[in-house]
Amino acid sequence: MDIQIKELSHRFGEKTIFEHFDLTLKDGGLYGLTAPSGRGKTTLLRILLGLLAPDAGTVTQGVRYSAVFQTDRLLPGRSAVDQLLFVRGGRRDREEAARFLSGLLPKNSINQPVGELSGGMQRRVAIARALWADSDCVLMDEPFTGLDETTLCQTADFILRELHGRTLLLSTHQKELLSEYPFEWLTL
Amino acid sequence: MKPAKSPRRFLRGLLVTLFWLGVWQAVSMLVAKPVIFASPIDTLRALWALVPTAAYWSAVLGSLGRIALGFFLALVLGLLVGIAAFRFSLLRTLLSPLLTMVKTVPVASFIILILVWFGSSSLAVIVALLIVFPQIYFAALSGLESTNPELLELSKVFRVPAGRRAWQVYRPALWPYLMGACTSALGMSWKAGIAAEVIGTPLHSIGEQLYLSKVYMATAELFAWTLTVILLSTVFEKAVLWLLRRVGK
Repeated sequence: MDIQIKELSHRFGEKTIFEHFDLTLKDGGLYGLTAPSGRGKTTLLRILLGLLAPDAGTVTQGVRYSAVFQTDRLLPGRSAVDQLLFVRGGRRDREEAARFLSGLLPKNSINQPVGELSGGMQRRVAIARALWADSDCVLMDEPFTGLDETTLCQTADFILRELHGRTLLLSTHQKELLSEYPFEWLTL
Repeated sequence: MKPAKSPRRFLRGLLVTLFWLGVWQAVSMLVAKPVIFASPIDTLRALWALVPTAAYWSAVLGSLGRIALGFFLALVLGLLVGIAAFRFSLLRTLLSPLLTMVKTVPVASFIILILVWFGSSSLAVIVALLIVFPQIYFAALSGLESTNPELLELSKVFRVPAGRRAWQVYRPALWPYLMGACTSALGMSWKAGIAAEVIGTPLHSIGEQLYLSKVYMATAELFAWTLTVILLSTVFEKAVLWLLRRVGK
């Protein structure tokens, strides 16, 4: 399903973030979103996720989203596998979830409490969780924060491999590191 | 895992216990009237004589049963009503004056009223319930309000089922508050429950035995029953907190 944003307007106090803003995300499209800080990347993602009501405008309803937020938002004290099973599946899916995670994390870290993982590993758990969940569209807000260049490329490969035809909208400040990837770039 | 107690800490604990036993013994020797102040030895002798009797165990089990029933009823009801009040603010507003009243009215007033309305047999159950319920209720509310809003947003976006959200997001936020409330409520339920039994003197209760010890000026027995209450309260508290820790893992 295409996702359409029409006539979107939103302000924070005196500051106008969006004014009659239109955007169409084609079904299965890969979109990169860049903009200087404070231009509304996170606001746009929050409006799409239904976490923020815009002052005016419409957004396509009925889309199932999964997301990587600016912060990792992991369940404290639980393992990486538990983070995945929280959003989809049950005990029977543990092995499958562990296999899924092994594409992004060292095997010995998969069952460790996430608090014991490095910041970069925690970020990858959040990314894996978004891709593991059932969704039509995956939104990622600065997913590569805290990742070195090599890990960033491995993670980007993993994301494209595990999308399976879903729409992706990814906001980033690291456009130049992703120039090899087939993103359609949007600028706010 | 909790670190094992070091021999040094154990020794220090033992010395502290011995010190206070010594103080107890010294005071009893100073008073020199066993009918006013029983010594540790007299107390242990009285306890030794009581333990093999059926009356002792029927009183212990009777009081334990009533106070435990009151505590667990309050735990379940406090949690359920706390969750409902968190969900429906009207209920919270409605309950607020009632619970403020329950918290401030002296326990003795409740004991007498309950005695008049319901008689002595269920007195300790209701008193323990009334003492514990507000603490659990307020702990449930505070715990639920402290839930991480970011995890709630995450659950909403990922359409996490309500049961899983309750167990994995709300429960971890609620549990530390519940543990704190239970730690203080457990001791208070015993204090208030036994006080109620002393006033109501229901059959097969420690309160009745304490009252009889007072009537017959059997101070060593009074001390022995008090020691029994301390032991029961400590074991009950440790067992309940252990259980809650297991569920909260």
